[in-house]
Amino acid sequence: MKKNGLIFLTCASLFVMGCAIKPTDPIALQAYEEANDPLEPFNRAMFETNMLLDTAILKPVAKGYRAITPVFVRQGVSNFFDNLKQPGYFVNSLLQGEGQTAFDISRRFLANTLLGLGGLFDVASDMNIPVHTNDFGETLAVWGWEKSEPYIVWPLLGPSNPRDTIGAGFNMALSTAELSVIDEPMVRYGIWALDTVQTREKSIEFIESLEKGTTDLYATVRSMYRQNREKKINKATGTLENQGVSAYDFDFDDEE
Amino acid sequence: MKKLTAVFLSAFLMTMPVKAEQAGIDFTKKLADDIIVNVLSANISDEEKLKVFHDRFKEDLDIQTIGKRVTGTYWKKATPKEQEEFLAAFLDFTTKSWADKFNLYTGQKINFTGIQAAKSGQFFVSSAVEGNPPAEVLWRIKKSGDSYKITDIVIEGVSMVTSYRNEYVAFLYKNGGKLSSLTEELKRKSASFSFTKK
Repeated sequence: MKKNGLIFLTCASLFVMGCAIKPTDPIALQAYEEANDPLEPFNRAMFETNMLLDTAILKPVAKGYRAITPVFVRQGVSNFFDNLKQPGYFVNSLLQGEGQTAFDISRRFLANTLLGLGGLFDVASDMNIPVHTNDFGETLAVWGWEKSEPYIVWPLLGPSNPRDTIGAGFNMALSTAELSVIDEPMVRYGIWALDTVQTREKSIEFIESLEKGTTDLYATVRSMYRQNREKKINKATGTLENQGVSAYDFDFDDEE
Repeated sequence: MKKLTAVFLSAFLMTMPVKAEQAGIDFTKKLADDIIVNVLSANISDEEKLKVFHDRFKEDLDIQTIGKRVTGTYWKKATPKEQEEFLAAFLDFTTKSWADKFNLYTGQKINFTGIQAAKSGQFFVSSAVEGNPPAEVLWRIKKSGDSYKITDIVIEGVSMVTSYRNEYVAFLYKNGGKLSSLTEELKRKSASFSFTKK
């Protein structure tokens, strides 16, 4: 108990030390408010740490994985992991009351598991079964927690916010439960590690071009994460259907 | 006779927005087709692709409107010369960083699905890039005289203009708010791109 209290205090002080100071200059204040990132010093430190780990470990391993595997093997591995995520998407669709989506996901899972050799082949796409993704963060949004601040960057996990942090915890618990059918812990860790590596392999070029094309990678990732997440949340809650393009529709003249 | 004129007049007025909308879709579709044929799928060197793309971007992108938006309140603090230099560096850097992503294109088709009104008297032309699920791309366009200009491209909810604005405002905030410092940084970053010659 004493140890837990100490951990809590350390984390709390790290957060407090990692809070951004509000500027007094009006233009700087506007920039500060636009960033809407009160934990920015903490977040930037976590982001740098994650990038260092990525450069030192994950990216070289992902490149090595690419070097030793032919395209059809990587495609099969990717299909396998996509299929493994379907039960989680299915549960979240049910929790969101999306019957048709849950039906599509179950059809996709059954087709790929039974006809696609345990998910190695994506026969469901050939059968024109639509792809849906889903997570517990979206479920929480459907249940009413639509806006969630502040922006947080977690070690290893990356960009998030309080709602999506809880969502990620639930998703992790779901996939742990799914993998619990495998008795051997080393096999379970191996599957998790392979999924991490194959996911990173798919984004080697995209992340490289992102790094080259920005003056501030942290700010770019924060912006892209938030916008993309907002679109997914709006789609899940039906806001996108109701309000059309309003999420991206700013007024070009509002600074006149 | 008056009644007949009124009927004709209202019929004419009703077709006007439809025509304007169709013209907006046609402009965007032609731009996307031209980029696919003359740049992405063209059998020319990367350097030549960059040149064709740069000229097309310069002609069809409303760089003045975008440049002003992406620098937020810092735009007004800069002199006209600083603004002009920024716009040139921004156009150069943007085209190079987009051209750097050309190899991510693997032949997908783009289907145009519709158009809807946006703020500032502009429009969003919707399109979907082939795939399962298809990727949504919105082209924000502005009527400029008889032609159209692109003012934003939104890919899967990520607006190019909003992303640049969030990045540049953060950069300017950290670097004393001088637009010239951003211009210098863009020039420095532009020099790091390399494109193969024939």
